[in-house]
Amino acid sequence: MPLLEVDRVSKRFGGLRAVSGASFSIGEKEIVFLVGPNGAGKTTLFNLITGFIHPDEGRIRFAGTDVTLITPNRAARLGIGRTFQIVKPLGSLTVLENVMLGAFLHTASRARAAHDAREVLAYLRMEAVAAATARDLPLAMLKRLEIARALATRPKLILLDEVVSGLSTAEAMALAALLQKLPERGVAAVGGVEHVMRVVVSIANRVVVLDHGAQIAEGEPHDVVRMPAVVEAYLGAKFRERHL
Amino acid sequence: MTRSHALAAAAFAGALLVPFVVRSDYTLQVLFRLFLFSALGLAWNLVGGYAGQLSLGHSAYFGAGAYGLALSTRLGLPAWPSVGVGILVAMLFALVIGGVSFRLRGPYFALATIACAEILRLSAKNLTGLTGGDVGAAVPALFSGQVVRSFYWSAVLLASLAAAATLAVTRSRFGYYLMAIREDEDTALSVGIDTAKTKLAALLISAALTAVAGSLYASLFLYIVPDQVFGLDISNEVAIVAMLGGVGTIAGPIVGALILETASELFKNVFLEAHLLIYGGLLVFVVLFLPDGIVGTIVRRRTLARRRAKPPRAPDHAAA
Repeated sequence: MPLLEVDRVSKRFGGLRAVSGASFSIGEKEIVFLVGPNGAGKTTLFNLITGFIHPDEGRIRFAGTDVTLITPNRAARLGIGRTFQIVKPLGSLTVLENVMLGAFLHTASRARAAHDAREVLAYLRMEAVAAATARDLPLAMLKRLEIARALATRPKLILLDEVVSGLSTAEAMALAALLQKLPERGVAAVGGVEHVMRVVVSIANRVVVLDHGAQIAEGEPHDVVRMPAVVEAYLGAKFRERHL
Repeated sequence: MTRSHALAAAAFAGALLVPFVVRSDYTLQVLFRLFLFSALGLAWNLVGGYAGQLSLGHSAYFGAGAYGLALSTRLGLPAWPSVGVGILVAMLFALVIGGVSFRLRGPYFALATIACAEILRLSAKNLTGLTGGDVGAAVPALFSGQVVRSFYWSAVLLASLAAAATLAVTRSRFGYYLMAIREDEDTALSVGIDTAKTKLAALLISAALTAVAGSLYASLFLYIVPDQVFGLDISNEVAIVAMLGGVGTIAGPIVGALILETASELFKNVFLEAHLLIYGGLLVFVVLFLPDGIVGTIVRRRTLARRRAKPPRAPDHAAA
C-alpha cells in the first residue's frame, strides 16, 4: 500500500482549473518531485494534500486513511509535514523556537522540545543560527527553517514546496545533498520545483510532470526529461536540441 | 530570572503593605484602579498580545462580571458565589464570541469583537426587565468595614494572579502555541496546532479574569449602568493599557496601567471629557513610534545592545 495516494483529484478556482484529475502515489521513504512551470498546480496540490483547501473531485488517502476533507492541523498530526513556498517563519521567535513548535507535536516539555529541535537543526546544519531571530535570516536559511520546522513534527511524508527556488546553484545543491538523506530518517518527500532540474535529477526516485493542472508524464527522472511531451510542454525545444 | 523573581516578590509585598502607610481612601481608590487595570491589561494581553488577536470588545466580559454579580444576588445568591456566576457568564460569552469572531482574521476580527460587545451593551440597555436598563442595577457590597482597603487588596491579588497566570502560560507549550498563532496562523496549523481551540482557551482564561475585575469594579460603585460596564471605553482602555506598556510582555500591561491611570488622574479635572482625546493621541503615538510598547521597546533595545557587544557567529551559508 502506498503511503500517499492522490486519486483523480481536481480543484477549480472560479473558471481556473488549477488541478485537473491528478493521480499519483508515493511509497514509504520515496522522494518524488512534482515538476511543472509556474501555475501548473503544484502548490494547489500541496494545499489539497495538507487540507488547507479541499478538492472538488477525487480522493486523497494517506497511510490507509482517507484525508480528502482533513483539516491542516489533523494532517500534521497524521504525519504530513509541509513547507511553504513563500516562507512563513514565526518572525519574532528564534530559529530554535520555530523548530521547537514543530517538536511540540510530540511533547509538552520545553526541554524535550528544545532537545529534539537541536537534533533537527544539526541535521540541517543550522546550529550556528539557532539563537538568531527568524526574520533576520537570509533566504537560504529561511528555506531550511521551513524544512526544519516540518521535520521536527516527525512526519512520515514531507511536502517541500519550491525549497530550492531563489537559492544559488551552490546553495541548492548543498540543500539537495541534505534532502537526499531524508529516507534514512524514515521520511518520504514530495518536492515541487519549477526549474533547477539538476536537483531533481540528482535526488528524485520518480518525477511527476504537471502542465496546466493536468498530469502529462510520470517516471524516473532520466526517462522523464527525455519524453517528447515533457520536453515540448515544459523544457522547450531548445533544451531538446542542446541536451538530447 | 531569580533576580526578577525577587523583584516581583518585593513588589507584591510592598503593594500589600501600602494601605498601612497610605491612609487616604481617595489615593487607595486611585491605586485600586491602577491594579485593576493592570489585571485587565494582563488578561487582555493573553489574547491580544501573546496570541495576537486584537480584541476591542473585552467590555463584554467585564460587563458579564459586573451584571453577573448584580443579577445573581437579586436571585438570592450570596455576593461571592455571584462573582462565580459572573465568571461563568463571561466564559459563556467568550465561547460564543470567540466561536463567531475567531473565524475572522486581522481587522475583521477586531470589528467583530466590537460588534459583539455592542450587542451586549444595547441588550443590557433595552432588556429593562432583567437589567433595569439605563436606570441601572444595584450591586451588592463584597466587603464590609474597611471597604476601600479590601478592594485595593483584591485588586492587587487579581493583578498578581493575572501576572502569575501569564508567567505560567509563557513557560508552557500553550504559550508557544499562542505566539505561533500570532506570528503566522498557517504555519501554526502546519505543525499540528488546533488554532481555533487554542485561541478559544486563551480567550476563556482572559474572560474569566476580566469578569472578576468587572465584579470588583461594580461592587466598589455599588451601582452600574450598561454604558459604563459594557461600553467601548472599557474595551479601549484595556487594550490601550496593554499596547502602551507592550503587548506580549508581563511587565507591559502593568507599566501601561501605571502611566494611563496616573495621566487620567492628573488630567481628569483639567480636560473633563477630553480624556478621550488623550487616549486617542496616546494610541496613535504608540502605534506610530513605539509599536512594541514601552516595555517591548526597552527589551528590544537591550537585546540589540547585547548582540552588538557580542556578535553571533556568521550563519553557515556554505553548509553541507
